[in-house]
Amino acid sequence: MTTKHPNGCWHCGEDIPAGVDIRATIAGSERAMCCHGCQTVAQLIDSAGLQRYYEFRDALPERPELADASGSDYAAWDRDAILEHYARPDCDGFHRLTLVLENVHCAACAWLIHRYVGALDGVAEIRVDVTDGRAHLTWNPHQVALSEIAARLAALGYRPHLDAPDAGQARNQVERRQMLKYIVVAGLGMMQVMSYALAKYIGAWQDIDPQSERFFLVISMIVAVPVCLYSGQLFYKSAWRALKHKRMSMDIPVASAMLLALFSSVIITVLDAGQVYFDSVVMFIFFLLLGRYAVLVARQNAGQLHSALARSLPVQARRLTDEGSELVTLVELEAGDRVQIGAGETLPADGVIEAGNAMIDESLLSGESTPRRRVDGDQVLAGTLVRDGHLTVRVENLGQSTVLSGIVRLLDQARSFKPRMAQMADRVASYFIVFVLTGATVAGIAWWQIDPTSALPVVISVLVVSCPCALALGTPVALAAASRGFARLGVLISTPDTLEKLPNITHVVFDKTGTLTRPDMTIGEVRLEHDAASRDQACRIAGRLERISRHPVATAFARHDDGHAVGDAQAVTAEGVAGTIDGTEYRLGKPAFAAEWVDGELTEPGDGQWIALVSRKALIAWFRIDSPLREGAHELVEGLRRNGLNLLLASGDRADNVARIAGELGIENSHGDMSPADKLELVRGLQRDGARVAMVGDGINDAPVLAGADISLALAEGADIARTQADLVVTGRGLQRVSAAFALAPRVRRIVRQNLAWAFGYNICALPLAAMGFVPPWAAAIGMSASSLLVVLNGQRLGRRPSREEGRGKKGEGENTIPSTIPPLTSPRSP
Amino acid sequence: MNIIYVLIPLSVILMVLALAFFFWAVRNDQFDDLDTPALDILDEDDSAPGKKNAPPRHGEHGDDES
Repeated sequence: MTTKHPNGCWHCGEDIPAGVDIRATIAGSERAMCCHGCQTVAQLIDSAGLQRYYEFRDALPERPELADASGSDYAAWDRDAILEHYARPDCDGFHRLTLVLENVHCAACAWLIHRYVGALDGVAEIRVDVTDGRAHLTWNPHQVALSEIAARLAALGYRPHLDAPDAGQARNQVERRQMLKYIVVAGLGMMQVMSYALAKYIGAWQDIDPQSERFFLVISMIVAVPVCLYSGQLFYKSAWRALKHKRMSMDIPVASAMLLALFSSVIITVLDAGQVYFDSVVMFIFFLLLGRYAVLVARQNAGQLHSALARSLPVQARRLTDEGSELVTLVELEAGDRVQIGAGETLPADGVIEAGNAMIDESLLSGESTPRRRVDGDQVLAGTLVRDGHLTVRVENLGQSTVLSGIVRLLDQARSFKPRMAQMADRVASYFIVFVLTGATVAGIAWWQIDPTSALPVVISVLVVSCPCALALGTPVALAAASRGFARLGVLISTPDTLEKLPNITHVVFDKTGTLTRPDMTIGEVRLEHDAASRDQACRIAGRLERISRHPVATAFARHDDGHAVGDAQAVTAEGVAGTIDGTEYRLGKPAFAAEWVDGELTEPGDGQWIALVSRKALIAWFRIDSPLREGAHELVEGLRRNGLNLLLASGDRADNVARIAGELGIENSHGDMSPADKLELVRGLQRDGARVAMVGDGINDAPVLAGADISLALAEGADIARTQADLVVTGRGLQRVSAAFALAPRVRRIVRQNLAWAFGYNICALPLAAMGFVPPWAAAIGMSASSLLVVLNGQRLGRRPSREEGRGKKGEGENTIPSTIPPLTSPRSP
Repeated sequence: MNIIYVLIPLSVILMVLALAFFFWAVRNDQFDDLDTPALDILDEDDSAPGKKNAPPRHGEHGDDES
């Protein structure tokens, strides 16, 4: 189960960029790392003696960000208000609290957290739920500060968020536990009643004495009646609700069959006459409950992380008081307070700007990607991000009354919305129920005329055998399993209908920026022009200089920054950066900008985007900045084309750039210089010609285009996941996941169809047989259960873990042979 | 054969006890996390960190209110 990446970073598995030589010693051997962030985390894990994490894990982590490891970010978490609002007191001064963690992938993450955070004095327990990324913490605030725990989690790369007490979460847990109890009671009861029934059947051949037979009958009743009344509650209540609202529901024939069989059996037992059906009823309830439990768990797990992240506002804010400013928690804020917000921070509440101006990114709320400038008197909303500038905001609305919470509520509603396929199955099932109820009545009346003693068993058999649960279960079970299967591939589904549309797609339109290329740039090539400097030195100087820059080019140098002090640092917009390191002045930027310091013109030494590093005296080095293709871009294009899809590339970038990337990937149809409106027009045009278009974007910049396409896919990481508006969200790095999603979709449709066909076929065959009296109630219960079980198991096939490529990681570790670009999670599914 | 009049009611009583134990376990969070405990066995270290200063857990301090 070891997941290693023989040619990539030992920690995160990403390719190590050219020119980076960072190593960490893990369990005595040197391992290559791709950046200082990975190095820090890996060394942390090693120094805590937890290297075994690398053996346990079966999914690779995201690349950690270096800046996250400081405890001061979480200083406000130690305030009493946090304890009051988020934590629940346990005994002996311990408190309980739930955190939402980013980047939890597999059980090994949970193990790592348990060992590393659990080792702190004062932490009694930390339990991580891998399915929804929540950590349940029990700790003593007097022994260890919450901020320290949070900082430890952040240092491992699992950035924590406080989880607001959420009624939905508690309700889910209650529901799940209740269901578990029903199932176990029904299961144990079934075993008991079956064994008595078996004793009775065998006894019938071996001349059981009437007294013992009667004893088995009575004891069956004693066990079956409470079990049926307790475990079957769900069905009785739901049927009663449906009847009250004059709706048809699947639970009406189910509940009537159960109650009819149960009470007739009780009467027969008391009167000591005829056949009893205790075993059939209990078995019927047990298998039905199993199916319902599968649906419940699947429904609850889908998209829980999604809503948790969407809810996450900053927990702290800087409140202005008469004496100055103080750090307070969000729960302490009141309407009318004034708060200060700096660059890179998220607004904690809705309010009005009192002073300052800033570029504000409102993409979370409006989908509008370009940050807007907001000035005095403008309204600002909670959850929006300040890109640069400083603000003083007077708080107006908080918590549940913010626009953000309204949107989150809408999101939750959207999630509870049933997919069309399931709705259709429900509708068909409800017609079928009317048919079954009429059929049972007619059969009952007919048999009453022919042979009154057989009327009851026939009615029960008809009701049980034709229970349309397979019909109603087939689709939701398959869809739930499919969304789990997609989640395993790293694809979250936010609109359930997507699964139905995905197989029909004919055209895929890519948006170049951030879709096929990486969001961060890299240094493609370094050309040294000065003897005194080594390649490593040049990179390091550039890294220090670029520290203050917010230009995307700076991302290429971030991993070379060693934190060394830079004097007089300044960034010249659209030109470059300048600063003094160890007494030498440097400039780094566009050739024209750098050339001001050296004599003569600087010409770029080759194709592509080059920037120059100069000192006062001379040119030191040239860097070529690339925006490299994402891992797996080639495989994605290949895979999609093999599936017979037409590919297009539409981008707002310069046309020659777009054409170059299209050429590199072998996409014939490329369009550059496209505005969002042009892209939308392109999509509309394709749709007019009868194409079904899937748009792949980053989900934030091209929200309108995504909305215009039949299906939208977005690539997103971390907190951005919650900000995307797309139908499908592809998390993490790998682009192959997109093609995996396209490969999985036809299987989903096939399995749903198989399930529906089976359920229909079975019910249509079984109903006449039962009505004619050929099927005794026990056989009906077995038949019905087997049919439902078959449908559930068939649906579960979609949720299976994709089989991993064998032999991976057995190659010499650390040898830089052929770069492997396929991370294990995204290996092709076995047929 | 008279022994069945003792054994079978006994089996029913055992079932009730098993159910009572199961309900207790559900109420005390035993079924909330089914993934991580699988890894504990891989731990060679006997002193699991969670154990050393865990607060005493009684039924009445569990999630009874849920």
